[in-house]
Amino acid sequence: MKHSDTIVIGSGLAGLMAAYTSVRQGKTVTLLTTGSGSLSLNSGVIDVLGFDGNHEFVASPKEGIKSLPEDHPYKKIGMDMLEKAVDEFLAFTKEYGFPYHGSLEKQIMVPTAVGTMKPTCLAPQSLDGAAFEGKSKVVIVGISGLKDFYGDIIQENIRPLLGENLSYEVVMVDAGLEGGRDVTTLDAARWLDQDKGMAALVNALKPHASGNAVFLLPQILGTSGESVAIALREKLGAEVIETTCLPPSVNGLRLQKMFHQALMKLGVDIIEDTKVLRAVTKGSKCTAVVAQAAAREKTYEADKFILATGGFYSGGITMREFEKPREMIFDLPVWFVPGEENWSNEQLFSDKPQGFAKTGIRTDESLRPVDDSGKVVFDNVYVIGRNLGGYDFCFEHSGNGVALASAYKAVMM
Amino acid sequence: MSETMNALQKKAEAMLTADHCLSCTSCMSSCPVMEASKEYRGPKLVGPAHNRMRFSQEDVEESLDFCSNCKSCDRACPSGVEVSTLNMLHRAEYYRTHPHSQRDDMLAHGERMAKRVRMLPFGATFANLGMKIGKCFGIFGSMGIAGERDMPAYASSSFLSMFKGISQKPSEKKVVFYPGCFINENDPEVGVAFVKVMQKNGYEVLVDEKFNCCGSPLVVTGYLDEALEHAHNNVARILEWKKKGIPVVACCTSCSLMLKKEYGELFDEEEMKEAATNVYDAFEFLAMLEEEGKLNTEFKSLSQSLLYHVPCHLKSQGFGTPAARILGKIPGVKVELADAGCCGMSGNYGFKQDKYEISMKIGEELFGRIKTANADKVISDCGTCRLQIQHGGHVEPCHPIEILEKAY
Repeated sequence: MKHSDTIVIGSGLAGLMAAYTSVRQGKTVTLLTTGSGSLSLNSGVIDVLGFDGNHEFVASPKEGIKSLPEDHPYKKIGMDMLEKAVDEFLAFTKEYGFPYHGSLEKQIMVPTAVGTMKPTCLAPQSLDGAAFEGKSKVVIVGISGLKDFYGDIIQENIRPLLGENLSYEVVMVDAGLEGGRDVTTLDAARWLDQDKGMAALVNALKPHASGNAVFLLPQILGTSGESVAIALREKLGAEVIETTCLPPSVNGLRLQKMFHQALMKLGVDIIEDTKVLRAVTKGSKCTAVVAQAAAREKTYEADKFILATGGFYSGGITMREFEKPREMIFDLPVWFVPGEENWSNEQLFSDKPQGFAKTGIRTDESLRPVDDSGKVVFDNVYVIGRNLGGYDFCFEHSGNGVALASAYKAVMM
Repeated sequence: MSETMNALQKKAEAMLTADHCLSCTSCMSSCPVMEASKEYRGPKLVGPAHNRMRFSQEDVEESLDFCSNCKSCDRACPSGVEVSTLNMLHRAEYYRTHPHSQRDDMLAHGERMAKRVRMLPFGATFANLGMKIGKCFGIFGSMGIAGERDMPAYASSSFLSMFKGISQKPSEKKVVFYPGCFINENDPEVGVAFVKVMQKNGYEVLVDEKFNCCGSPLVVTGYLDEALEHAHNNVARILEWKKKGIPVVACCTSCSLMLKKEYGELFDEEEMKEAATNVYDAFEFLAMLEEEGKLNTEFKSLSQSLLYHVPCHLKSQGFGTPAARILGKIPGVKVELADAGCCGMSGNYGFKQDKYEISMKIGEELFGRIKTANADKVISDCGTCRLQIQHGGHVEPCHPIEILEKAY
């Protein structure tokens, strides 16, 4: 059997961060994954904690975390590990050429595709709404044919947030992408990867540029790193900001690409298109996992297993029968909010949490799964990211923060 | 709704997976054809979304023609939708009511052509000459075949005839080698290297002349009925060998994927799934020997840097890249993964004149990687990937098994 020090299962942000941190610790790492991971569906900015339990805005994630209930994943992870995880992540993004910035002390405000501002903790420069500060003109840039980015809606919503003392205009740019299929941000980003796309955009925007203008664009400034954003800023002599957008998420893909490059360089053995089916256990130890390859199963042995299969949202946990959730690989005990009436609130987009969203695995302080009595189920299995129970990442805006920090801690245990 | 469609809906497992699509766009982000051409509406719409529409009406999605069956979408899908297989089933349905071009007939039936050529004295020589002349006079171009490419030349003797001349040490441990069309007709040295490698590992290699083309070129050009005939023949043969306890091993990753996975997805017959369990990719098999501590690792030193382009159809087999690990054990050998996505060739896709530009655009990243890596040798398990690497990367690549053979 193939033996590794550590096996990571899943390639969303939690899985990638766990594989990266682990290989940096000198471990041999095998990453088992089915599907391309959730980063293409994820803004790729790191929300640590945007809102508290009463849905009040949290100005400082570090402060906000203090008031979270004891069973929240952050309380198990601890502030020390969260801080180290943030440092590790920031250093990683710097080293691999697409630096994120921010800190646990305060939020970065990121513009969205409907013209609202959302809090996040770590983001690349191109998404940082701080660039609006001190400017007198906002130029909203639409791309002809691009779905889900409408300049007028953005203007209507962002005006009251940034103030009426600024001037606003909407400029439409023809990227020559129409006439075939629906145009996505990824198409436009690929257009800007090319010199001629960049030249065309600069041409179209130059007449609107000035030192006190900010260009607000959909997430199209190149498919990797920040070189396109830097070049555009220089050529226009003005600030440029991207909004978060609907999938495919260009920024999530940039982050995914950078992680992938790092893992390849550091020698992580990535085995794609293989679904882990079950674990081989001996008492309270897991010795191997069995994964489905074409036509046959393969067994992968390791000393340590990190479970990053995405919980309820990605099939890591399922519930075929009400109140009988199942973790699909290790059959770990899954915690959930009991009672049908507490399962969900009727208004999906309200400011109330969803009971179902808290479904997940409870752990000890080391992030090892525990049963109802708090007893550790497996000594060498660690649960990270959306598999963790007890928090509603949508409501709190804490998804990628929990992913990063739990991944880091699981590796260090 | 046609009889075939009814039959397919009753049968094909792939059809059932379409309803697992959540429209999340993961497949769109990873589709190399979408990246190269805005005319392709993409896997999500053309595969599962369009499949839903078919329940209500007969409908033709023009851009289906752009899918290359590289299977990047299937690998990206978090929900197990067999997107590319849906596309191939839809393509087959289209060609039930629409005529095939002469070009597609030719590209799909390489095996038939090769058989004719091999029947003539000096057939391969004349056929190669004919292809050169044909290229000069633009005959292939007028048929809709990319005139920029050389058609793969026939080897002076096929693998199966060369095999007869190899004297092997007999062994109780045996495998059956499935050469597939490309290795048999165009690149027999790969098969010869495989036999030598297996001999060094104490195995005797058998062949089965009753095997025919796996059907991959037929599936991608919409000749599904013929592909099913091939599947029935090959599956029956594989099951015969299974009864004897002898595994079937292939060096071509598109052949092995077809035998192991695509038959089942396309036709969903139980025997196909049973046969699949007796089929292995060559390095998958060697990796299993390695795991049992039975791989002969008495390697000579080779002093070579290798750039490894992992074929899409190997990635879709879900066992990683054991060739990189095994070759990495040879003293002096350094293996680097190209990690440059799809090469753009996708079997016969890149040979189509109207897809040539897309094919080359997809390959750009790999070509660039080959240039900057400056490795001693580029390796790839897939025959048509190697053709693309030769054409666009301007190097002479080989199969990883040929490197391993040199190390013994």
